[in-house]
Amino acid sequence: MPRPGTIALIVFLMFAIALRKTESTPATASASNEIFTDITEQAGITWQQFGGESPDRFLIETMGGGVGFFDFDNDGLLDIFFVNGGETPHGKSPIPLSNALYRNLGDGRFENVAAKAGLDKLNFYGMGVAAADFDNDGYQDLYTTGYPASALYHNNRDGTFTDVTDKAGVKNAGKWAAGAAWFDYDRDGFLDLIITNYAQFSFEDPKKCELNRVRAYCVQTAYTGLPLTLYHNNGDGTFSDVSRRSGVDKFTGRGLGVVAVDVNDDGWPDLFIARDASPNLLLINKHDGTFEDIAQEAEVAYDQNGIAKAGMGVDAGDVNGDGIPDFVVTNFNDQYHSLFLGSKSLPFSDRTSASHLANLTRSFVGWGTKFLDYDNDGNLDVMLINGHINQEIESTRVDVKYKEPPLLLRNKGSGVFDDMRELAGATFQRSYLGRSLAIGDFDNDGDADAVFTTLNGRPVLLRNNSGQDNSWVGFSLQGTVSNRDAIGAKITVTSSGRTLTRWIVGGGSYLASQDKRVLVGLGSNAGPVDADIRWPNGIVQHLSNLQLRRYHQIVEPAASSSSKKSQN
Amino acid sequence: MRIWQLRLVLRWFLLGLVVASCPGLAQTEDAQSHADIGIQFARAGDLVRAADELRKAVVLAPKNAEFLSTLGTVLAMDKKLEESTTTFRQALQLTPQDSIVRRYLAANLWQLHRYSEAKRELQIILRKHPDDAQARLLFGMVSENSGDYITAANMLSSVPKEVEKQPESIAALARSYYYLHDREKARATLQMLTSHASSVQSVLMGAQVADQAGDYEKAEQLLDSIGDSSDGENVRYRKATVQYHRGHFADCEQTLHPVFDRPGATAETYNLLGWCYHRLNKPKEATAAFEQAIALRPADESNYVDLIKVLEAHNFLRVGLDAAKRASDLFPNSAAIFNLKGSIESRLFQFTDAITSYKHSVQIQSTSSEGWLGLGRAQVSAGLILDATSTFTSAMQRFPNEMRLKVVYAEMLLKHADPSDRTASTQAEQLLKQAVANDATNPEAFFELGKVELDEGRLTDASQHLERAAKLLPQSSQVHYVLSRVYRRLNRTADAQRELETFQRLKRGRAPESQNDSLTDDAKPD
Repeated sequence: MPRPGTIALIVFLMFAIALRKTESTPATASASNEIFTDITEQAGITWQQFGGESPDRFLIETMGGGVGFFDFDNDGLLDIFFVNGGETPHGKSPIPLSNALYRNLGDGRFENVAAKAGLDKLNFYGMGVAAADFDNDGYQDLYTTGYPASALYHNNRDGTFTDVTDKAGVKNAGKWAAGAAWFDYDRDGFLDLIITNYAQFSFEDPKKCELNRVRAYCVQTAYTGLPLTLYHNNGDGTFSDVSRRSGVDKFTGRGLGVVAVDVNDDGWPDLFIARDASPNLLLINKHDGTFEDIAQEAEVAYDQNGIAKAGMGVDAGDVNGDGIPDFVVTNFNDQYHSLFLGSKSLPFSDRTSASHLANLTRSFVGWGTKFLDYDNDGNLDVMLINGHINQEIESTRVDVKYKEPPLLLRNKGSGVFDDMRELAGATFQRSYLGRSLAIGDFDNDGDADAVFTTLNGRPVLLRNNSGQDNSWVGFSLQGTVSNRDAIGAKITVTSSGRTLTRWIVGGGSYLASQDKRVLVGLGSNAGPVDADIRWPNGIVQHLSNLQLRRYHQIVEPAASSSSKKSQN
Repeated sequence: MRIWQLRLVLRWFLLGLVVASCPGLAQTEDAQSHADIGIQFARAGDLVRAADELRKAVVLAPKNAEFLSTLGTVLAMDKKLEESTTTFRQALQLTPQDSIVRRYLAANLWQLHRYSEAKRELQIILRKHPDDAQARLLFGMVSENSGDYITAANMLSSVPKEVEKQPESIAALARSYYYLHDREKARATLQMLTSHASSVQSVLMGAQVADQAGDYEKAEQLLDSIGDSSDGENVRYRKATVQYHRGHFADCEQTLHPVFDRPGATAETYNLLGWCYHRLNKPKEATAAFEQAIALRPADESNYVDLIKVLEAHNFLRVGLDAAKRASDLFPNSAAIFNLKGSIESRLFQFTDAITSYKHSVQIQSTSSEGWLGLGRAQVSAGLILDATSTFTSAMQRFPNEMRLKVVYAEMLLKHADPSDRTASTQAEQLLKQAVANDATNPEAFFELGKVELDEGRLTDASQHLERAAKLLPQSSQVHYVLSRVYRRLNRTADAQRELETFQRLKRGRAPESQNDSLTDDAKPD
């Protein structure tokens, strides 16, 4: 009688033979000849963002458009939430405005159920979204940011949400909030919330600026930055504002993108905060409820000349295979989108030029960005969403455009990138006023899909056609001692001598919320796959002989365990 | 020709007339009559007809040195110095021993700024007549003009009576002493001006000499000695100029402010007042003063240039651009104005407009590197890298000693080249090395070279060059930041921390939108 392991191996080999083999070269699309296909229309997504564009040229008009992939009804399919902007004093909408919650129907189509869910109304000018299970009841809740307030919606588990902002104490009143990230900074098993506030702002105070004699949006330095907000989850449905106690309130600047990840591998989540013409922050968790900013010592606060770039979006991932998180940050035109390679010793390495990111992004204003392994070859690629803010830019520049194409950059290994424009799909040949980006496998076929928003326009939903050409393994983690979403977990996959490290990060990109499952591409590898999971609360779990081409539902064990097979 | 020079020439002319009237000189009757008529016309002040008659006399009697010398004198009085010089040379070919004519010739050459030729003629005179006071005087003046201050001082001080007669020669002697760092003698010399016949103008001239030499104390003392004067405007102006040069801008403002909006105030006065206000950080008042100067002398482009410079220095870019556009309409051939226009347009991110302005400047004055430099920069900013490459390549050939072109081109290569293209970075480094070797005062060259070396891991070289940049540009936050990075990699932790703190302090003190470390080039009035 063959042993179970042998059966599994035979089954695997049958699958492997049935699949097309690929080399480690740019993956070509399968059915269509493009890596990503725009399926927005056939998916039934008709919602449009409204920025409130007006003659007053409030900067907020150019900056909204949050989007999140999350499974609100626990049917195993990722749904999509879009945050609308809003009206401004002289920027009115001809039609009623609303957010959108598109429920994934499972057949490539989506249905807007925001009204039914109670998420449609705009109670403030909307910016971003962060989805997570803050009360560990197994259902994803939503936090939306905006001006002059933000809101927390509790998932009622019946397809509806309740606004619990006031009860929870997370209104962040009076502030222009941009990014938000859920993370468990004190490792008590409940997700806390960090909010990046942007700038002092009022609709009563339209700043007057010009570009080429035409009224234009002011540079960001015309606005005074704000401190961060940190809410501690008390575990009882309420939060405490610990901004002062934690010390994050002294980090004043124009905060935008945020990602929570364990930078120094001490098991505690840290924060990278991208800021707009303010130095970026690299806040290291000191395990006592406070943080220390080491961005300057790490040389990620500024560019190489000491100039604070216009940091908008940020993501963390291991692009060079050394097991240490690296960071991509989107910036303004002429500043290049940055790539910092993390290091055990400071400073980090600024590889913006050496990675080709400088050359490829010089003319672009970047917003949402996310690492993804689009072709499942094991190397983390990156997608960047671009779009300018001033229509008049083309009257003063030859090389910078108002609408800009998104970028799909393939990692050749060790963090050097190629532009995949020619193969990526028609979307990457078109130009948009791109803003937020979320990555998620909405069709559960094992490759990373994407959705991005556009200012005053429709979003774009992209289906990945190429990732299934390679092997992959997926993880869906459920914390028990740790927070249920397992935000902060570190997954190390080894197979055929190769080690790949991934994290379930909090936040990431710009104003966006991501699929919390982890996809690990393995290329053409057919060998056995093992994984070590370090859960957020420190428990280490070893898994061996994982099946390829499937998601593994992993529940956090009560204590460290080794050589345990994955549970189905 | 200045008045004193005219007097000198007239004196020689009269001498010439005396010689011409001496009996015993052989001439044809017709030539003589033309010469006589010519002299009469000269006396009457009709120099053109005088010259015509004397030319006729010369044609009829080409070997008559007197006719030639008289013609030469009349031509010199009529400012036809080249023809006068030729005529005097012809006379000297006939009578080479005539030291008077040779002195006339030297005076012409001096006025034509042909100093070495003037000196040669005077040396011929002085070899034969070493005590010729007029020749010594003129030799001293020529030497001073040509920067030979030792000879100038020696010559002029040897003929004190001649020097005393003319405030211009007193001034020349004083200037020579200043250049020779003999302040005492210079001051004593200038003191003679206070008792000079044309006292006020002389003293004003002396004050200017002292001012230009940086002897502000003497300049002010001379001006204070004038007291009440009908030329109060000029005195006030000169006093304010000295105060400006001393850095006493508030005093400068106080001196000039009473003339504001009063009749008699000159464009120069308002211009100087504008600069005083600028230095006192009063841009609106400065603008008003420059506008007054413009109103008084609308054809003078320098007031527009100064107005635009001050507006740009105070970051009034929109207003500055309006002024630049107005000026460019009035002075379509002013390279300076188009350079300023281009500079402001660049700062307003209107790079395509800046390119147009700088192109115009280069067309007007292709011999000035400023326009080329601005054009190249604007093209880079606009993303026109190929155009910029062509501009810089041409400009570096035209101006091989202009290191700023090399530095900016190197910056462009480093920023825009593909990182896998080693030739660009190698070329950039070569250009930067040339720049630092040829211009030890260019902080950007040292800064950029230091960064290249940092990227290449040549940390010791990088620290040396960046330290030099920091010395040259201590207020640059960027230099201190990059230097801290180098020290960190050299494990010089304390130095790294110090530089980082300096960087943070400088950053805190800056306007948030200011990311440019370039210093404004303030022009000072004379």
